[in-house]
Amino acid sequence: MSLIEMHNIRKDYHLGETVVHALRGIDLEIDKGEFVAIWGPSGSGKTTLLNLIGAIDEPTEGDVTMAGRNIRSLSDNQKSELRNERIGFIFQSFNLVPVLSAVENVMLPIQIKGVSYSEAKLKALGRLKEVGISELAHHRPFKMSGGQQQRVAIARALVNGPSLVIADEPTANLDSETAQIIISIMRDMNENDKITFIFSTHDQRLLNQVKRMVRMEDGRIVNGDARR
Amino acid sequence: MMKWIKLAMRNILRNKRRSLVTLIAIAVGFSAISLFRGYTDRIYWFLKEGAIRGESLAHLTIYKADWLEKGKLDPERYMFSQEEIKRITGLVMQEKEVVLITPQIQVNGLITNGTISLPFIAQGVVPGDDKIIKGSWAALRPMTGEQLNDHKPYGVEVAKDLARFLNLEPGKDGVVMAPTLSGQMNALDIQVAGVFDTTMAATNDKFMRFNFDFAQSLYNTKGAEKFVVLLKDEKKTGKMRKAILAKLTAAGIACEIKTWNEMSAYYARSKGLLDVILLFILSIVLVIVTMSTVNTMSMAILERTREIGTLRALGLKQRGISILFATEGGLMGLFGSLAGIVIHLIVCTILRIVSPTYMPPSGTVAVRLWVDYIPATLFALMVFLVFLSLLTAFIAARRAAGQNIVDALKHV
Repeated sequence: MSLIEMHNIRKDYHLGETVVHALRGIDLEIDKGEFVAIWGPSGSGKTTLLNLIGAIDEPTEGDVTMAGRNIRSLSDNQKSELRNERIGFIFQSFNLVPVLSAVENVMLPIQIKGVSYSEAKLKALGRLKEVGISELAHHRPFKMSGGQQQRVAIARALVNGPSLVIADEPTANLDSETAQIIISIMRDMNENDKITFIFSTHDQRLLNQVKRMVRMEDGRIVNGDARR
Repeated sequence: MMKWIKLAMRNILRNKRRSLVTLIAIAVGFSAISLFRGYTDRIYWFLKEGAIRGESLAHLTIYKADWLEKGKLDPERYMFSQEEIKRITGLVMQEKEVVLITPQIQVNGLITNGTISLPFIAQGVVPGDDKIIKGSWAALRPMTGEQLNDHKPYGVEVAKDLARFLNLEPGKDGVVMAPTLSGQMNALDIQVAGVFDTTMAATNDKFMRFNFDFAQSLYNTKGAEKFVVLLKDEKKTGKMRKAILAKLTAAGIACEIKTWNEMSAYYARSKGLLDVILLFILSIVLVIVTMSTVNTMSMAILERTREIGTLRALGLKQRGISILFATEGGLMGLFGSLAGIVIHLIVCTILRIVSPTYMPPSGTVAVRLWVDYIPATLFALMVFLVFLSLLTAFIAARRAAGQNIVDALKHV
């Protein structure tokens, strides 16, 4: 069974009286352990697709299933639990909570799950060590560079041991050297821990390292293996 | 829960100036209510003691049935007879909660110094019993000369202005005149034992106090208009009224019993006025605290929309977002209330050191401005304001918690 299955997905946005067709019939399957890049021009529907896979948005038509569970059939609370336990998010602007230190940011998803403080801290420190910034564990985000913040965000995305990590333009705000480090970290996590990575990008350096590319244009998958 | 409290604390400190303004609003509102409540509590106590002890109303007043309606038209019929005085005294004194029961009589008439005559209203009391009723309150009653005593029946107390108009002072003689119950005019010699201040301008020119036996002589009766009953515990006034009424009714004595607060119109009016002012202040504070908290929370929610989206994406449920903001509101309510308690204590301390006085309306004696420190009231007020802030923040956050995650993440 595929980790992610999407069938005939449509997503419309209403801007006043205008209807924007963001996705126009997407069919996509992604297996466990894949390292998939969604790429294409701005406005092609990459972020919308990731939002639907990440269970933070709902399609206008069609079904998205994750490990056999139809996301549409889940309640808001069930979707929250699914995101917390099974999905990690990495955002273009890092989206760290500014009043929390690096380790506290990483602890957040575990604490949302209800794990004790000491256990959460232990796990968070472990993940920070894996991404190579354990020495910055007690720094607040504003005292860190963009690359360091994105590493914290990766640690946060991985801390609950998700089966899927969704990254929306993870290297867009980073210089090329830092972007390369971030790509390597993600790649290592994928290879070592068999975590599925799905990300949108324009970054050719990142595209060169992926196993699978899905190109989108005008809300459709135009090439790449939509079905494997 | 600790993690959310910690996060809420840091978020409060995130925008220090805005949080400070909200805390000040809550603290000032809290202290406004608590100080006024502390002030009114003192006033209520003062008015209550003034009625029970100062006016010698004690806790309960027993009248013969229909006295209040028809007594003035036919006093002899509606007064207690000498035999009834003995029976009632015996029955009421059987109650363990009763300290004493004593007869009283009110006399209206004229007092003269031989040259000028003025009307008076006198209360005829048993001096020994009245001393027990007054208790320590007697020390607060401005007086020159001596109080009434059992050994000098013709010695009377005269209110300050009445004494001044008649040029009477302790030791001087005069005559009081009043119609007897049968309607004939009666006159008796008096000697001024003491001159007292009623502390009310409206009564200082007409009040007198007689020995009960002397008042009976003036009215030419052996009866009593009423009894007053002093209890051990003021809180049991209502319960004891029922018990005594039941007992007297069972004994075949038709009577009606009034409590001290029913008898003291001044207490009821003053309390009513102060209660309305307190309610008014409470309403204003309620609006200020609600508006401040709503404003602070709305601003915080707007600024942190993307953060809310991130937390939701990480798996925090809508309820979790509401609780997070409600915790912030609740903490602000708590800190504002604690600051309010500090302000209350500072003001109380200053008032105790400076001891300012003021003249109450219609008063003749300056009263010390005093604010009581009532821990139970402060605690209740703190709980109320914390709950109000928490609820206000919770309501404000509910909308934020329910917003679309994608839209929240896009918010700049």
